[in-house]
Amino acid sequence: MIAIGPTFRALLRNKVGALLLALQIALTMTVVVNAIHVISSRGDLMSRPSGLDEANQFYLTSTGYASNFNEALVVAEDLRQLRALPAVAGAIQTNATPLGSSGWSTGLSLSMDEQASGVGAAVYFVDETGLDTLGVKLIAGRNFRANEIGEREKNAIDWPSQIIVTEATAAGLFPDLSPAQVVGKSVYISSTSQTTIIGVIDRLQAPWNGWSGVERSMLIPQRTLFGSSRYFIRAQPGQLNQAMRAVQDHLDQHPQGRLIRNVRTMDETRARSYRDDQALQGVLWVTMTALVIITALGIIGMVSFNVNRRRKQIGTRRALGASRNDIIGYFMLENLLTTVVGLVLGSVSSILLNIWLVDTFNLPRIGWLYLPVAMLLLIVVGLLAVYGPARKAAAISPALATRQ
Amino acid sequence: MLVMQQLTKKFRTDDVETHALRDFNLNVNEGDFIAVTGPSGSGKTTFLTIAGLLEDFDSGSYQLDGESVQGLNDKALSRLRNEKIGFIFQSFNLIADLNLFDNVDLPLRYRGFNAAERKRRIEQSLELVGLQHRLKHLPTQLSGGQQQRVAIARALAGEPRFLLADEPTGNLDSQMAQSVMALLEQINQRGTTIVMVTHDSELAKRASRNLVIRDGRASEQVVNQRAVSQFASA
Repeated sequence: MIAIGPTFRALLRNKVGALLLALQIALTMTVVVNAIHVISSRGDLMSRPSGLDEANQFYLTSTGYASNFNEALVVAEDLRQLRALPAVAGAIQTNATPLGSSGWSTGLSLSMDEQASGVGAAVYFVDETGLDTLGVKLIAGRNFRANEIGEREKNAIDWPSQIIVTEATAAGLFPDLSPAQVVGKSVYISSTSQTTIIGVIDRLQAPWNGWSGVERSMLIPQRTLFGSSRYFIRAQPGQLNQAMRAVQDHLDQHPQGRLIRNVRTMDETRARSYRDDQALQGVLWVTMTALVIITALGIIGMVSFNVNRRRKQIGTRRALGASRNDIIGYFMLENLLTTVVGLVLGSVSSILLNIWLVDTFNLPRIGWLYLPVAMLLLIVVGLLAVYGPARKAAAISPALATRQ
Repeated sequence: MLVMQQLTKKFRTDDVETHALRDFNLNVNEGDFIAVTGPSGSGKTTFLTIAGLLEDFDSGSYQLDGESVQGLNDKALSRLRNEKIGFIFQSFNLIADLNLFDNVDLPLRYRGFNAAERKRRIEQSLELVGLQHRLKHLPTQLSGGQQQRVAIARALAGEPRFLLADEPTGNLDSQMAQSVMALLEQINQRGTTIVMVTHDSELAKRASRNLVIRDGRASEQVVNQRAVSQFASA
């Protein structure tokens, strides 16, 4: 028996308790909707591909300490020997890694005018094996040739005459051109050095995941002579551990006046890079779960109180022909009505909070699906919470209850 | 139409077993107005709750309107209770949060009548008890006698064949008690069978049959024929 009218009218005559519960549900919905939205947004950010073959890649830092340390020779010899290891698919010297939190960036523009509009892009120094070792995909133009790879001193300010850029960098510079049309175009690095885009790769993220230009990067065909450099190594598929052991063993056996440190996989780097986001997600999940549990307990408490308060009424309803299921249904319906009021209020406050979050923290707007999903979740939680006390109500002896 | 044979009901605690009803026999005929009396703890209320299908019994048999109630599940018992039995309680048992219309509406909703049929029956039964103009009032806005009239209207709305009344005048002053009793007699004259538990011997005398329960057993007393005929013709 569904008696929405009488049940709603009866609720209105006891509105304080029902209204407080509805407000609690509204608050819970507001927090749940926006928390799920933030969790989901962070999840989207965290799941962005870096462009690398992360599962098979690691890197380490090589720093020369010996007075006779000849970086150019040592690096060249190291890379030659590392590339010969069976578990290693590729090895390059570079200055930074995507998601690594530190690296270089510089401006690219279409003229030498410092005031000219341009885009910032992360800088990665690579050689002719860079594309394969990084695992990035060339979508237009060509790769660097071996004879195009130069050397770069620490204080150098010049830039080479050829670069490869990501598709996002190309789009930032030439919004109306396709990647293929961008190949051959001249641009200026730091408004000083003219260079030509010889290739476009699909994706290679910058080291800083929170940067709005994270998808903009460029590859520079230079070996660095900075005294300390990063070896970026790609293992054969599925042989990351073997490759890491083999590389470290090899470098340990051939010290050559340099120190090896910070050996780290790309999986670790990704985890470290998004540690704060993961922590935020965890905190929001805990907060949201706790709030839902508190709301469920509130419903259980409220319904249990109502069951005890209405024992005589329950007995009377049973005497008038209500079955046990009717009694359960009565409490379910009553709670559902309270929940619906809370959800309507919660929908409004969820949208208002989201507007504030969008304005204040530049978060994206919530998708329309969040509201019905949160409503469904809270309805299910409400019905589950009310079921226990409602069953107890249905089990009350009508013979005793009517005599109270 | 209500036949109880060798009915037994025991209540057990950890230490004590109490026979509320023992070898209880009763045959209620259509149109009877039975007053049930007896000392406190004799088993009157237990009889009434078993008769009203609110409580089960340990042994014996109980047939309501030709149908054995033994072994029926909750749904079947609820349906039987809703269709054949109307309850009147000493303390009225109106639902305080519902107005008169919604109170009387309750058993009709459980029956599954449509809205128009429910409205017709609610108005008809409230008119019978003289409260048709107070549909939207809450029970607390009525006197005790009026509340009991509403309870009677609620019991009658489904047109049950039995009315089970547990001390229906117990919470009313004598004037209101007389009024409610007159209403019950009127209902009985319209063909509804009434079984009424009462402590009031004067009211009991106005019933067509008097049943006395002592120590869980029923015995019938000779009816005051003059009182019956006097009130039957009223």
